[in-house]
Amino acid sequence: MAALLDVRSVSKRFGGLQALSRVAFTVDAGEIVGLIGPNGAGKTTLFNVVTGVYPPDDGRVVFRGEDVTGAAPHRLCKLGAARTFQVSKPFATLTVLQTVRIGALNRIPDMAGATVKALEVLELMGLAGKRDEPGRTLTVMERKRLEMARALATQPSLLLLDEVAAGLRPNEIQDMIALVRSIAAGGVSVLIIEHVLEAVMRLSARIVVLNHGEVIAEGRPAELANDARVIDAYLGEAYSLA
Amino acid sequence: MVAVAALAIAAALPLAAGPHLLTAMIVALHAAFMALAWNVAAGYAGQFSLGHSLFYGIGAYASTVLYLRLGLTPWAGMFVGAALAGIVGGLLALGVYRYKVHGIFFALVTLGAAEVAKGLADNWAFIKGPVGILLTMQNAPGDFFFLRREPYYYVALAMLVAMIVISLRLERSPLGQYFLAVREDEQAAEASGVDSYRYKTIAISLSAALTAFAGSFYAQFYLYVSPDTVLIFEPQLTMMLGTMVGGAGTAFGPVIGSLLFSGLGEALRNLPFLESTRGIVIGSKMVYAVLLIVVLIYLPGGLITLGRKGA
Repeated sequence: MAALLDVRSVSKRFGGLQALSRVAFTVDAGEIVGLIGPNGAGKTTLFNVVTGVYPPDDGRVVFRGEDVTGAAPHRLCKLGAARTFQVSKPFATLTVLQTVRIGALNRIPDMAGATVKALEVLELMGLAGKRDEPGRTLTVMERKRLEMARALATQPSLLLLDEVAAGLRPNEIQDMIALVRSIAAGGVSVLIIEHVLEAVMRLSARIVVLNHGEVIAEGRPAELANDARVIDAYLGEAYSLA
Repeated sequence: MVAVAALAIAAALPLAAGPHLLTAMIVALHAAFMALAWNVAAGYAGQFSLGHSLFYGIGAYASTVLYLRLGLTPWAGMFVGAALAGIVGGLLALGVYRYKVHGIFFALVTLGAAEVAKGLADNWAFIKGPVGILLTMQNAPGDFFFLRREPYYYVALAMLVAMIVISLRLERSPLGQYFLAVREDEQAAEASGVDSYRYKTIAISLSAALTAFAGSFYAQFYLYVSPDTVLIFEPQLTMMLGTMVGGAGTAFGPVIGSLLFSGLGEALRNLPFLESTRGIVIGSKMVYAVLLIVVLIYLPGGLITLGRKGA
């Protein structure tokens, strides 16, 4: 069976900076894949290329068997790839329910149906009590949850999470891990960028390590924790899986 | 209930008003309609056009020229004008957004488009250039001409009620949600499956078409259309003042703001120290400006937020 997401030798250059060079990996249906690497390794750039924020200079992005290289972000969302933003972008003056309903309209283009779906997602994300609050009044944790709720409401087959655990307190990280697991258990594949190693190591079935825009390693968390290249480039010391 | 009561009062008002007050009320209803039409693009979709006089002008000229040249009743002509303005607005938006023109630059480009239109109209003999076109006062309800003011009042009222209904329906429709999403954050809108290019274009086109109806009404009421009356910044200013002060992105804010400014304009006209017409114009603009600044500083969401805080 073909991979859900197939990134084929993607390169992207910004002026003199080679942000991505010949990056290739796949995400299969039902899989949680982690994407790690030091700051500036090209992780968010890769998200942006995959979700159509800008086209790659070279290479192809194939999603669900369709070549989506350079397709607009809303096209990707319609096809089933939804993302969150590293710096969360709440619709500041809209309420939590309005925001998530906009996501839900992606698949259910009528207000009543979309409202039902939005409330269901808000319940799952633990935001039901905040439904009438405007986005700008939410805390960091709530904003991240709102980002995820908005993305999830679009009913994706692939969810791309950009640092949803960063900035959270330890107990909140545990909650976030449980949340991502329950989303994946619902049949959604997840590609997750994360600096909080505990989260990404525990969640991912497979991890792709980026450094200077190149994939330097790929494998199961346990393998990578002892990989000399990964330790050198990113981990700094051998990471012990708790 | 409140809506029914308000409508009943509005419908009964001409019985109590003299001709002067009636004219002022027609102008106020017309201003509220225009404000709501602009609000579709600027308030809901966040596309701050400064070129809406162009669409107002298209409406005014289209119904007038179609009536005089082809004998088409302005009742139908105003719909043709709206369609034309919708197309012009849509094409303008397609071009402008294609080059990713945002915010202040979008405002400037649209302002420029309206200026270009005025220049063209001034030099276009077919529509009599700067001289303008006069319509004859007559009693012909089938052609949207009345000798008395009351019918104009009821037409203006009906148009405003229809515009409020359109605004409320928009607020409760998927289309309205896409407009809001684009206004709040285009990237997040795109990530939610909203085609921002498409919906910004639809917002401008729809808003332009609605604005054109106001232009046609203007022509039928004042019986005179010229570049210096409909293609200047004045109609745009009327739309913006009412919307910004009343509350952009709501169905009733622009109405409240427009009625307030219209009432204020009437009140200032009667001040003893403003003897000349020029004095009235300058004096009232100063008052408008101060009011606008005060409201935007202390009530950035417009006067309508006062009601919400109380509730």
